[in-house]
Amino acid sequence: MAFVEQHIHDAPTSFWSKYICSYDHKVIGKQFLWFGIFFLLVGGLMAVMIRWTLAFPGQPFPVIGQLMFPHTGGVVPPDTYAMLFTMHGTIMIFYAITPILIGAFGNFCIPLMIGARDMIFPTLNMLSFWFNMASGILLLGSLCLPLGAAAGGWTSYPTLSTTLGQQGLGQTMWTIALFLLGVSSTMGAVNYITTIITLRAPGMGYFKMPLTVWGLWLTSILNAIFIPVLGAGLLLLTCDRIFGTTFFLAGAAATSGKGDPILFQHVFWIFGHPEVYILILPAWGIVSDLLSFFARKPAFGYKMTALSLSAITVLSTVVYGHHMYTTQMSPLLTQSFMTLTMLISIPSAIFFANWLGTLWKGSIRFTSPMLFSLGVVFVFGLGGLTGLYLASTSIDLYLHDTYFVVGHFHYTMAASVLLGGFAGIYFWMPKMFGRSMNECLAKIHFWTTMIPLNGIFTGMMIMGYAGMHRRLYNPFIYDFMHKLMPMNTFVTWCAIAMGLAQSFFLYNFFKTIFFSKNKPLASANPWEVGTLEWEIPSPAPHYNFKEIPVVKCGPHEFGNPNLKTGRDFQYQTEELVEVK
Amino acid sequence: MNIDRSQEMKFIQSSVAMTVTLCSFAMLFATMFLGYFLVRSSVSVWPPVEIQGMPQGLPFLSTLAIVLSSVSYYFFEHKTGGKKVNFVLTIVLGISFLISQWLLWAALKESGILVSDGMVPSMVYAFTWLHAAHIAAAVFLLLWLGFYVFVRTEKLSPLKVINVGKFWHFLGVVWILMYLLIFVL
Amino acid sequence: MNFSFVERLNGLFAQAESVADTATKALSFWERMMPPEDISSSGHLIMWLFNYTTYVNLFWFSLVCLGLFGFSYLYSQKRHKKAFYTHGNEKKHLLITALIGLGVFLSVDMVITKVSSRDIKEVFWNFPEDSEELVKVQVYAQQWAWNFRYAGRDGEFNTADDVVLLNDLVIPVNKKVMVQMTSKDVIHSFYLPNVRLKADAIPGRFAKLWFDANKVGEYEVACAEMCGIHHYLMKGKMTVLSQEDYDSWKNEQEDIAIATNDTESENLRWGWAWGSK
Repeated sequence: MAFVEQHIHDAPTSFWSKYICSYDHKVIGKQFLWFGIFFLLVGGLMAVMIRWTLAFPGQPFPVIGQLMFPHTGGVVPPDTYAMLFTMHGTIMIFYAITPILIGAFGNFCIPLMIGARDMIFPTLNMLSFWFNMASGILLLGSLCLPLGAAAGGWTSYPTLSTTLGQQGLGQTMWTIALFLLGVSSTMGAVNYITTIITLRAPGMGYFKMPLTVWGLWLTSILNAIFIPVLGAGLLLLTCDRIFGTTFFLAGAAATSGKGDPILFQHVFWIFGHPEVYILILPAWGIVSDLLSFFARKPAFGYKMTALSLSAITVLSTVVYGHHMYTTQMSPLLTQSFMTLTMLISIPSAIFFANWLGTLWKGSIRFTSPMLFSLGVVFVFGLGGLTGLYLASTSIDLYLHDTYFVVGHFHYTMAASVLLGGFAGIYFWMPKMFGRSMNECLAKIHFWTTMIPLNGIFTGMMIMGYAGMHRRLYNPFIYDFMHKLMPMNTFVTWCAIAMGLAQSFFLYNFFKTIFFSKNKPLASANPWEVGTLEWEIPSPAPHYNFKEIPVVKCGPHEFGNPNLKTGRDFQYQTEELVEVK
Repeated sequence: MNIDRSQEMKFIQSSVAMTVTLCSFAMLFATMFLGYFLVRSSVSVWPPVEIQGMPQGLPFLSTLAIVLSSVSYYFFEHKTGGKKVNFVLTIVLGISFLISQWLLWAALKESGILVSDGMVPSMVYAFTWLHAAHIAAAVFLLLWLGFYVFVRTEKLSPLKVINVGKFWHFLGVVWILMYLLIFVL
Repeated sequence: MNFSFVERLNGLFAQAESVADTATKALSFWERMMPPEDISSSGHLIMWLFNYTTYVNLFWFSLVCLGLFGFSYLYSQKRHKKAFYTHGNEKKHLLITALIGLGVFLSVDMVITKVSSRDIKEVFWNFPEDSEELVKVQVYAQQWAWNFRYAGRDGEFNTADDVVLLNDLVIPVNKKVMVQMTSKDVIHSFYLPNVRLKADAIPGRFAKLWFDANKVGEYEVACAEMCGIHHYLMKGKMTVLSQEDYDSWKNEQEDIAIATNDTESENLRWGWAWGSK
């Protein structure tokens, strides 16, 4: 495709046009990053409150408990508990991970890595952030309602989420907030897809794009196709709640002509399963790149990895039924969904092998982004393999809705994505804000996160195996769970430890951005990496590239023995050195 | 039309973006139709509960209006003679579609079919609401385009006309499907 | 929330904790992480498949760890100054990765799919034929309780002599029990940890489940699907009686039902004819 150059715009001058209503993809990326980190803290606090309730039932939540629940003496009450886990799920998935991984890295990396001056529709990009903001404010606002926020779980299954199960505005606001967020994500997706298809620098073929861009691209495609599915479900739910339609109300259509709660589950999971991959694909992309960057070795089987990611993207759209085994769909459907789900493990195994192949005979530099990437390989291995239990219909009869599920999806969606996100932040920090973060603190952050993290989620899986089911305010009502009390306490202490460990990150992050003005700026290429964004100064100037680069080789050219430049890597703009 | 290279690139870019956007909208409506099929396949007789006095004439009129408006927009896009008349006709027909929808809802209420009466009325109402909301948005788009057609003619680019047109035709197709599913079959 | 509720809550917690402390103190870590006792004839199928998956997963995951930690050790910059230049797209590389993918698929997925499909088809969703021997129970879930209904002396469901119990399921040992269930308000999930089974009770739909219990005793019935703020309190009791005890219990209950059932009561009207969909 012929390439056309975007014009260089004048640098914004006022505070308003520079930081608030900016059209610059880098600033919008940073806005998403701040937004995501804020919600990550809110969601994390909620997680600790949930864990506290599970491990120390009836004991007041320390420090802020008295302030928040004066009428119970600081104990989290059961209705608040339901609100907490609902909001924790919603916030973490839609308001923390999505903005950080897709909003921040998508905006920041795509134009820089493909050699464009900006996104193709900067206005749409800005709108996308502000829709996101509106949605976030709406969601936080719902926490202040007299009847409380939504409390039907992040899946919000009807009929619990219709007016029958939830009075008050909370659930309605949740629905509308999520719809707005969907609009924002769809706008972002249209922008990303079009940018990647039409704005790649001359010479940048699809198989010369960094895998980060591949991950983000596939994510955007899933977003564009499946977010509207959720949107439709949410609209119908809103109609049920506000206008009195009966889509999801009890009473099978056959007997009473009323609606069917299962309809929502179908719609929700048609979206919901791709959503899992929407969240994880950018992290996979980032990790695939970083492993190669810091092993100083070309990505092993680059094309194979890209194709495996694409295969997973396609497969992810046809497996949603495995979330609904216990609703007793027809056995034929159940079996097809099980088989299709299992097929995902082939491409997964292939790119896993490629990740390890990248490390093989490398010359590994254990920088903080690399540590986090290796962490992702570890936790995603666990998360992926434990998915096999849940994909099988018969085991799922026992494990469905237990903590095993919770442990599994936290490993895949929370742990790997979070670690991948941290890897990305540490890696692109010099390009984003101009200065690198403190490596020592970053490494402490890694270990203090990684160890409790595994304690939490492995502990959850053990509890699930022992039969503990989800969303219980006080599991010890049940006799068979009494023996799990020490385990619960252990998991809670791990969660608190992991929460506290994030202060290393926050300190490092804020210090680097706001309190390092006297330190020199990072060099253009502190990590010695050859992709396009490392050829321009740090922080990236508002026009990105003075001259649009011409790409001549792939993104992972490391360790070529015939290199005469004294470096061990090649920039993408350099002609590939032949090995012969 | 004589388009230079950067125009051609712009054309490609906007058609990629428009395709993706329409895909998203299509999925929104497709989900509604999926719901319809899921419900319908679980029932042996359709409609599951007999519904008296479902208006037939009004939806047909709406269909006529929206088909004609698409046709007139097509002429506006592709024929040189009588351009602006066709454009005005599109807007008028679009607004008359909205009016006919309004009348449809009134007629439904008149014959005692309420939103809360079960699955079929719920679908009739919610689907037409959703579609009408899109049509309303599209009418605003047409009016915005009208600003360029009549006032700032020098700024009227064929891209704007084509993209608004794509959206308009798309909504027409969705309505025809909706009409067939809800009112005919 | 009023004060008395908080007090009650605290009482509940205190009670739970004291029981927990005394009854489970002696357990080892290993015992603590075991699932509740399996009392069904079918639960071992699930456990077998679980264990199989665990072993094969351990194998693959140890390979991952071997690669991850081994390569990290061997090929760190200190030990391995110069990286080996390969793109990993030679034929042999592709072959190896493809073989790994295939290996995972054949060793784990195919086996699980096959065994799981067989178990589902032949056992879990292979519902027993209607017979005299079959114990039939209707379950009606509501926020936040389980209603159980037995046919009573006339053998017909939804008649005046039905035995209706709240949060109390009584079944004979070693007999197949067939459960039909639905829900009054929101989605619940009928979960028997000791039988390793659960099924969603969905308003407007009928779900079914069969199981048997081979050990006399008292067990728990749980709700596994979020069903509102008191979801955690939706606990029932399952009592497994010997055949004689069950017969006499049933006789007694049927007498009570005939004598005391209030035919006007709402609590009695929720049933349905057996097998109707």
